[in-house]
Amino acid sequence: MDPDTAIGGPHGQFPSTRVSLLEAVSAGVPNEALERVAGLYWKPVYRFVRRKFGLNNEDAKDLTQSFFASAIERDFFGRFDAAKASFRSYLRMAVERFAAGQYTAARRQKRGGGIEFEPLEEESAAGESAEQLFEREWQRQLFALALDDLRVYCDESGKSLQFQVFETYDLAADARPSYAAVAAQYGVAETSVTNYLAWARRLLRGFVAERLRGVTSGERELGEEMRRLWT
Amino acid sequence: MDVSDRVLDHLRHVSALPDLTGTRYDLECEIGRGGMGVVYRARDRQLGRVVALKVFDPALAGEAQVIAQIEHPGIVPIYDSGALPDGRAFYAMKLVTGARLDRYVAGTVSLAERLRIVRRIGEAVGFAHRRGVIHRDLKPQNVMVGEFGEVYVMDWGVAAVAGTPGFRAPEACLDSRSDIYAMGALVQFILPQSSPPALRAIAAKAMSAEPSKRYSDAAAMLADIDRFQEGLAVEAWAEPLWHRLERFGSRNAVLLWLLGAYAAVKFAIFFLRNL
Amino acid sequence: MNKILVGLIFGVVLGALDGATAWFYPETRPVLGGIMVGSSIKGMVVGLLSGWFARKVRSIKWGIVAGASLGLLFAYIVAVMDASSGKSHYLEIMAPGFVVGGIVGFLTQHMGNPPVNGRAETRIDVGSL
Repeated sequence: MDPDTAIGGPHGQFPSTRVSLLEAVSAGVPNEALERVAGLYWKPVYRFVRRKFGLNNEDAKDLTQSFFASAIERDFFGRFDAAKASFRSYLRMAVERFAAGQYTAARRQKRGGGIEFEPLEEESAAGESAEQLFEREWQRQLFALALDDLRVYCDESGKSLQFQVFETYDLAADARPSYAAVAAQYGVAETSVTNYLAWARRLLRGFVAERLRGVTSGERELGEEMRRLWT
Repeated sequence: MDVSDRVLDHLRHVSALPDLTGTRYDLECEIGRGGMGVVYRARDRQLGRVVALKVFDPALAGEAQVIAQIEHPGIVPIYDSGALPDGRAFYAMKLVTGARLDRYVAGTVSLAERLRIVRRIGEAVGFAHRRGVIHRDLKPQNVMVGEFGEVYVMDWGVAAVAGTPGFRAPEACLDSRSDIYAMGALVQFILPQSSPPALRAIAAKAMSAEPSKRYSDAAAMLADIDRFQEGLAVEAWAEPLWHRLERFGSRNAVLLWLLGAYAAVKFAIFFLRNL
Repeated sequence: MNKILVGLIFGVVLGALDGATAWFYPETRPVLGGIMVGSSIKGMVVGLLSGWFARKVRSIKWGIVAGASLGLLFAYIVAVMDASSGKSHYLEIMAPGFVVGGIVGFLTQHMGNPPVNGRAETRIDVGSL
């Protein structure tokens, strides 16, 4: 889709353990936690800073990259208080503070004149604010990663047919075919189509939950984010 | 893999659908979202009828379990319960066909009918209170009026919900008096623009900021509404004298007219004879 | 208290009071006692019959009509009896008698206990009376 976002953190990596974010950090492996967070949040942060601060592609990429790169130095995880906000909100606010800090430094370097970077709060044609955009991109990336997980799982466990049925129906870009059409396409019964879809969707839900668990502080926040996701 | 907006919305929707394999229900469609979870329309294969399936996170169940043990015409009967493969739980209950209260009263509904509905709600709430169950989130969106005029109070005892602004009592800890507050707010909501001061006073008393100033229970509030409907004085309202006379007049209208006729006849004859 | 008794009591009392209003006509004062007795008896009869009617028919409207009719009828009888002794007072007797009959009819419908088996033989909806 957008070649600008081709550079991203490492993603497509199925979390090998089911530990939550805080557990990973307190176990002393902040890098692993950072990889998970970057994998999910890179694109959303990029889009967010582009919209919120009116940056061009290069500046937005630089800002996003430096945000994640300096996260550990700035004790990003250590300062997170699960009682106050979700990790998602905390991260977004940290990005805003980080970006504001960058501009202050940049402005100090320029002596008068030059272009001032003003935070732009313009709404898109669809009436979405930068914050709403951030959340939507986060959801998009979450599902994209979960879909990758599902595909890998199906390939490895010989359920390619099920995945193809799922892909044909649920991932259809335009009008969705009827169950009968899908059944005919793959030479299976319609009831099988129903069953495969139910199975794949259930698994997808599970993978989404797993990805979420990796970037939340614990069961309570996980539950809240899950509910929020599906409201 | 890039996911378009359309596909994203679709996936969010379908991955939330409960997987009902292993149960005797077939999913039909989503009908609404309550405080505790999502409600779907489903078909019970065994009995061949349509039911409402409420799917929720068992950790949030709160007091909802207790309501399943209560039977009352104003409380939706629960037929079945179980667990789903993805960890969620469900209740199968009667599918109420009718209108939600906020939509029902938006149409032309007489005052008598509105008060009838309030009475049904009060009876259900009072009944539940006597069995130790508090609703905590009483509001027009949680009341259904069925096609035969029956009234159901739904979504009981959800612990996690913070309540709804306008209907949630000010105190921090919710108990039966908070439900009374909500009932007052409900009466206020349900009443037409120009409603008698006695009814507004009843609602105001139920919504007193101080819980001890509210009605002690639902039955007390309904009793006051009864008194209003019978043309008697209402506990909640200190009525001015002229209103009291007006009330007396309308209650005894026929008799007063007859006595007036008698007096008129006597006077008329008297003056006729003495012209 | 059953309806017949209600009719009896109110009939007598209201009849007496109605008779007492003859006091405002000085020429009747000498025979005021007799007027009151007669009026009470008239009231009692009207009351008894109205009460009986109320046991059979439950309708405020028809109760008033029945009572008023009975009141008119018996007032007429009394007026005829009175006229035989000289000056006629048909209007003074029948008009109030009509209204008092209506009042007694109303009271027997409104008050008192209906027959023990709980149902009247006919029941007519009152409407907005």
